[in-house]
Amino acid sequence: MQGERNTDITADINLLIKGAVGGDADAFGRLYDMYVDRVYRHVYYRVGNIADAEDLSQQVFLKAWQAIGRYKKTSSPFLAWLMRISHNLVVDFYRSKKDKAYLDFEIAASDSHSSPERVAEMEFDQQQLRKVILQLPVEQQQVILMSFIEGFSHAEIASSLGKSEGAIRVILHRALKKMRNMLEGERGLD
Amino acid sequence: MEDILAQCIEDIKAGRSTLADCLGRYPSMRQELEPLLRIALSIQKPPPVTPSNAFRVRARVQLMEQIHAERRDKKAWRSISVSGVRQTWYAGWLKTVAMVVAIVLAVSALGAGTAYASQDSLPGDTLYPVKTGTEQVRRLLTIDDISRVELELRFAGTRLGEIEALANKAPDRTPMAVNGYEKNIAMAIEKAEQTRDSGVSASLLEMVSLGISNHLSILDRVEDGIPEAAKEAIKQAKEIAISEQVKALRALARKNPVRAAEINIDTMQSRLNRARVKADEGEFAEVEEALRQFEQLRRFGEEISQIANGLGYGTTAVDGLNARATSAQLEVLGIIYGKVPEETKGAVEEAMGVSVEGYGQAVKGLQERGALNDIPEEPPVPEEIPDDVKKRILKPEPKGSGNGKS
Repeated sequence: MQGERNTDITADINLLIKGAVGGDADAFGRLYDMYVDRVYRHVYYRVGNIADAEDLSQQVFLKAWQAIGRYKKTSSPFLAWLMRISHNLVVDFYRSKKDKAYLDFEIAASDSHSSPERVAEMEFDQQQLRKVILQLPVEQQQVILMSFIEGFSHAEIASSLGKSEGAIRVILHRALKKMRNMLEGERGLD
Repeated sequence: MEDILAQCIEDIKAGRSTLADCLGRYPSMRQELEPLLRIALSIQKPPPVTPSNAFRVRARVQLMEQIHAERRDKKAWRSISVSGVRQTWYAGWLKTVAMVVAIVLAVSALGAGTAYASQDSLPGDTLYPVKTGTEQVRRLLTIDDISRVELELRFAGTRLGEIEALANKAPDRTPMAVNGYEKNIAMAIEKAEQTRDSGVSASLLEMVSLGISNHLSILDRVEDGIPEAAKEAIKQAKEIAISEQVKALRALARKNPVRAAEINIDTMQSRLNRARVKADEGEFAEVEEALRQFEQLRRFGEEISQIANGLGYGTTAVDGLNARATSAQLEVLGIIYGKVPEETKGAVEEAMGVSVEGYGQAVKGLQERGALNDIPEEPPVPEEIPDDVKKRILKPEPKGSGNGKS
């Protein structure tokens, strides 16, 4: 049942994308309505503050509009394409920042039934993981975020990044190994 | 190793397998696999962070403006290269002259101190015409559509402040501020509708609708904190806010029916929440008032669906939203039903009937398009509603049939 509803939505989205590619600003506006939350969440996770997340999310959609003529529906899902634009903008944003203040970010633990101690512990773990993810090489970072935070399948990540699924699995493996080493290094310092 | 790691992660995430199952399947790789899987599985999706409504709307408006501006620039460039003359230059020059004249008139007519002092005045005060005159000058000075709509919404907010102040100080003058509020909102809608670029226009109408939703909450709060004698004017202001909301959403529906339906559903929910709070407080006349507003919006929901149908898009999404919202609405109505005395139960039944009727329309539309999917054909009436009431709601007697004894 859920699948059928998704099919309807996908058909609607495809129509909107077609319209936007043809220069229909209204159709693009409706795509904005559909995806602004996802883009914002992705950017917010990576920059850690509202002002930059808002600024960058806005830029993502402007860039997307400017590049929509080059979007090929068959090559990657529209959201994955937006994520790639978001990723590039965030990378540029990092480059322009000399400090690493963006790593200081509070991730609230979502389990409200846990004890305050457990919540604090979970927040600390997630904070540590986020720091480690954001220190990965950009390609590994993108695969980890798209896979675990955005919930894309390996096939979708592969088409979005223009790589084979096998290559994505290799990147994922390397990323997790690197994260393990970094986390062990941090724990060794404690 | 890469393939096994990826397969294990996917299986565990999909619930097809546990960490122990995976490690058990590949004992020779356990040492390397386990820490990697543990890290992978510990990465949690962050809690849902959502941008503020203000940001969403502002960014959309700016995006549409930029798209529009890019197009204008391209057209202007073409027109310059063809004729060497830009007609828009002349219009811009006229506007600049108008601005200068307005500033000169405003400064000479009013002393700056008087204009400043008038800002705290209320309708009926000696200085109030100065305050509205200053607003008029600001209108003249505001050229672009976005700023103009924002300005009218800001003025409407000022009127709400005046309504609250007058309700406490001079209730007989409150209707003057209510009239002013109606005019400001009407101007905001008109300006938003007239905006040439359809995308910008839709965003501005959305901004106005969200603004009116906020005004309704403010008016609820004001109504709760003022003397009984002043409440009538607030009720009138709320009626106006609802009817302007319908106008704004009707205009928005012609451009983006799905968004119009979403905002309408949120506004309906706010009315039901109001009815529920008032039922808890034992203020049953207020319950009935909030339910009437809910019914007005619920019926309007069907109009949005018709607009979508006329446009040829979004009908399935709009009907789906309306049908799904019914479940939450009936649940709240069921709670309210249990809290109100006999004499108010009829109003709750009527609201339930309207909700069920809207559900029926939405389901019919979805069925016709073969898009009912997981939405049940029968409306989800709460179980705690007595059977005889359920019967009445699900099969209302035809109007004019009296008590069924005709």
